[in-house]
Amino acid sequence: MALLSNAAALLGKELRTEFRSRELLTTTVVFILVVVVLFSFTFDPTSIESRRFGPGLLWLAFLFAASLMLQPCFLREQNNDTLSALRLSVSDPFGIFLAKLLANTFFLLLTEMLMLPIFAVFYNVHILPVFPQLVLVLFLGSLGVAIPGTAFSAISAQARMRELMLPLLLLPLLTPVLIASTEATAALLDPNPALRADWLGFLAGFNVVFLTALWLFGEYLLEE
Amino acid sequence: MLKTVAGAAILFVLIAFTAYLAFNYAPVERTMGAIQKIFYLHLPSAFTSFLALGICFYANLMYVFRRQAKWDWLGVSAAEVGLAFISVVLITGPIWAHPVWGIWWTWDARLTLTFVLWLLYISYLLLRSMIEDPDKRALFSALFGIFAFLDVPLVYFSIRWWRTQHPQPVILGGAGSGLEPRMRVSYLLVWVAFTGLMILLIKARYQLEAMRADVEELRRETEVR
Amino acid sequence: MKNLDSVLAAYLAGWAIFFLYYVSVARRAEALRKEIDRLKNSLSRSK
Repeated sequence: MALLSNAAALLGKELRTEFRSRELLTTTVVFILVVVVLFSFTFDPTSIESRRFGPGLLWLAFLFAASLMLQPCFLREQNNDTLSALRLSVSDPFGIFLAKLLANTFFLLLTEMLMLPIFAVFYNVHILPVFPQLVLVLFLGSLGVAIPGTAFSAISAQARMRELMLPLLLLPLLTPVLIASTEATAALLDPNPALRADWLGFLAGFNVVFLTALWLFGEYLLEE
Repeated sequence: MLKTVAGAAILFVLIAFTAYLAFNYAPVERTMGAIQKIFYLHLPSAFTSFLALGICFYANLMYVFRRQAKWDWLGVSAAEVGLAFISVVLITGPIWAHPVWGIWWTWDARLTLTFVLWLLYISYLLLRSMIEDPDKRALFSALFGIFAFLDVPLVYFSIRWWRTQHPQPVILGGAGSGLEPRMRVSYLLVWVAFTGLMILLIKARYQLEAMRADVEELRRETEVR
Repeated sequence: MKNLDSVLAAYLAGWAIFFLYYVSVARRAEALRKEIDRLKNSLSRSK
């Protein structure tokens, strides 16, 4: 399938570009770290309260970091004038979006997994027994952030004040992702851990809806 | 000028009619007393706002596929009017809650959903103000509007599930409980009146956009001369 | 009837929103109508 091979090639390019400088990853990790530390000043992270507030704070930190991390996604193309070249290189414009959203999901997931052990230490939560399930929640949640996020990166690139517009457009829309991911994470960090299939199913549904929307409308997002 | 006065007159008639329904026709509710009458403003506003946002979604879709300016005009008009109705919901809610529950706000399912909806459509309007080129503005705000509308049922369900698992005092529930026929009729008629109000406001705003396009056209002509 | 002032406040606030919105739209429409007339006049004069 031309779409998949195009997307794979572009995905490779996105990953190579980032791993050459690693500036996006490092700044994002440090940003989440700063947010997590600042949050710890707003309440006393004893074990009970950590379990109550921790998952929510963690996902808030991820959301804020993501809305910063997603900025360069299309801005880079715009600044370097590579968007038309990108469009010519693929037969289906959805390939561009597929590559970018997979790259963004991967970067998000990477930063989240780097943050998890730090979070566990600072907030005294046990992540090891539920680690694989946590990764599943992180994956579905990150996908949920990256799909609309990639689309809105293309939209905000057209606007003034784009650094503020992207979070403004993205964060209210991500309310369902925040709720579902926080609930699923909290259930896993509970003394009796449970995997919330209903919230995970909801996240999967969310991802399907917006992936379909991106597939239907992606070509218009790339218009110049 | 005459059209404006006529519009204002219709507006006034609608107000008087709904006020009459709420205060004279509908009986006083047993448990809550007079404060319940705020619902005749609160609930129909909510339904009408959904109608307006549905119109906005349709207009957004039409613009993306047809690229005719009139769909962009309809989209922004419906979004602004929808936002006005949502604002009424958000203001009447706390005014009702304060004497009854002693608090101004609570994060119950309906109010939270309404607030997120308000934020989404404020973002839509803000986005429009940040794009100067009219064609780009129309296209990209329409695309955002489509995504935002698709999100609405997802926001609704996630907040509902979340709230059923972490219940709060149901502040605005019980609106449908114990509905006497006169109350039901009042709700329905107020909603019809509000729909008429919505159409009036959208029409006025649409004509404003159409006039803006005329001015642009005329300005270009004068520059050519 | 108790709480009547809250009911009144709610209705006044609600209707104020609609009225203010309508008035703002109407005023801008008036201004544009004048601008259109002005431009049309200047065009017909320059012909």
